[in-house]
Amino acid sequence: MSDKTVVRITDVKRTYYMGKVEVNALCGINLNITKGEFVSIMGPSGCGKSTLMHIVGCLDRPTSGHVHLDEVDVDELDDNSLAEIRNKKVGFVFQTFNLLPKLNAIENVELPLIYAGVGFDQRRKKSAELLEIVGLSDRIYHKPTELSGGQSQRVAIARSLSNDPSIILADEPTGNLDSKSGDEIIHLFQELNARGITLIIVTHDQEIANHSKRIVRLKDGLIISDEKVK
Amino acid sequence: MINLIEPFKIAFKSLISNKLRSILTTLGVIIGVAAVITLVSMGEGAKSYIMNQIGSWGVGSNSLTIHPGKENSHSIELTMTYEDAVALRQKVRNLQYLMPEFVGRGRLVYGKMEYKPGYTLGVSADYPFAYKQKAVEGRFFSAAEDSGRKRVAVIGKTVARKIFGESSPIGENIKINGVGFKVIGRLEEKGTMLTYDMDDMVLIPSTLSELVLGTNKIWEMFITVNNDNQVPQAIQEIKKTLIARHRKEDFHIHTQQGMIDIVNNILNAMTGIVSAIAAISLLVGGIGIMNIMLVAVTERTREIGIRKAIGAKGRDIFLQFVFESVLITMSGAFIGILTGTLAAWGIMSYLKLEAVIAWGAVYLACLVAFLVGTFFGVYPAMRASKLDPVEALRFEV
Repeated sequence: MSDKTVVRITDVKRTYYMGKVEVNALCGINLNITKGEFVSIMGPSGCGKSTLMHIVGCLDRPTSGHVHLDEVDVDELDDNSLAEIRNKKVGFVFQTFNLLPKLNAIENVELPLIYAGVGFDQRRKKSAELLEIVGLSDRIYHKPTELSGGQSQRVAIARSLSNDPSIILADEPTGNLDSKSGDEIIHLFQELNARGITLIIVTHDQEIANHSKRIVRLKDGLIISDEKVK
Repeated sequence: MINLIEPFKIAFKSLISNKLRSILTTLGVIIGVAAVITLVSMGEGAKSYIMNQIGSWGVGSNSLTIHPGKENSHSIELTMTYEDAVALRQKVRNLQYLMPEFVGRGRLVYGKMEYKPGYTLGVSADYPFAYKQKAVEGRFFSAAEDSGRKRVAVIGKTVARKIFGESSPIGENIKINGVGFKVIGRLEEKGTMLTYDMDDMVLIPSTLSELVLGTNKIWEMFITVNNDNQVPQAIQEIKKTLIARHRKEDFHIHTQQGMIDIVNNILNAMTGIVSAIAAISLLVGGIGIMNIMLVAVTERTREIGIRKAIGAKGRDIFLQFVFESVLITMSGAFIGILTGTLAAWGIMSYLKLEAVIAWGAVYLACLVAFLVGTFFGVYPAMRASKLDPVEALRFEV
């Protein structure tokens, strides 16, 4: 396995304001993730897990510190370039799936390809392949309302893979699923990781974290432990 | 590289999935555009009808008519005589046709048959050229027959049918108000104009008007000159001649162009009023669209967050919403044009007139709808494009 660094976070702080109250969500995070890793981020509510995910995924910018994605310093980039990074280098998977309800499965999967400027035939082909990988080739034209939670999350995972990103970020991907579907999603993540895809998942669930290869624990905006899973 | 097709498709899908709301949103535009198209199409139809009628009577803008009495006076005193017509024929240069018209009622008798046509007119030999109505059977009387007071008559189709039925009227002797005439021609059919039967008339030489109709006063005089640009000069000469003869200006002159101008003025005023109403309705419609677009942006905050998270740029979101607003107004304009044209067509065919599709108004409606859609769509679209992705994703409806 290559040692190429996908994510390098250096002394990242993030402060925001809720009304007039200053909230220090991240208080100086240092974290390196290399290609092919499968990392769980754990910690109690409000510890900064989601903020960290948003910063890694270029949805949000740190108040101070540096974020490198594929050795590119993203602090320097403007909003359009960040959008391009989110499009091509990052794949998001959300707790609530966040599929567009009016589009069917394959249309949801091809959305990032549309924004990447891929032509219709090519993106349909790619999206169909991805739906097959996540085991939904028989649900291509179903709307999200016609899919179970587990199936919806598979569509979301297919969508996150569509531009062959450097990293998949999953925020509580099993939080809205029953345990059976949750297990299936975790196994799917393991499969994807086995294919060489770098993954970060945020979770409360120790069981789920145990399926990953490395667990990073956060508390009050700081990393309190970072260890390999035995 | 800006791809315009994809945001357009996205906007289109969103409208299709919200059909009822889209139609309700654009109702103001539909009604405004439909009203304008209906009224303008009807106006154009009426205009072309009136112009056709004017054209079928006169020979165009080289013609003018002289009416007794002052302009806008309600007096019906007839002031011009046959001698005036003779004088004008001598004094007006470049004269093409001159036709005095004496109007009266005549009682026709043929054997035991008796009939009163709508009009009996004393006219000059220029009638067929001036009014573009030839004799289709037999012939019209000549200038020599007119000045020679020959008792010859030309009859309209309705009169011919009433008196002679299917057989030919040519060469038959009839009496008009007791004076014997020979029928020498039958006029080409003209049909009805505003419910008046144009074929229910008899024409006799103008010189016989006094004898037959009991009047030597001209109802109106129709004159054409060789060329359009000789009309002003002809007017001067007519005024000079008649004032010299009458010692006062007890007549007025209408030109063909004047009539066309009046019709145009009325229709333009109507179009102006309609346009003002349309402008208000489009403004209200546009504000309605902006309002709905703002609601849509709020409602779809999460969708915007998702799109941004997977790589949509501000520009992509902006275009999506602007296109939605433009599409919604344009489809409103399209529906409005369609219903407006249909309504105009329906009303006009009920009135037995022809509706003319007002292409100018159609193009203008499309352009204005496009501008309204863009103008009122820009602000909501900017709001959408500037949403912070993290907050947008957290947004709960």
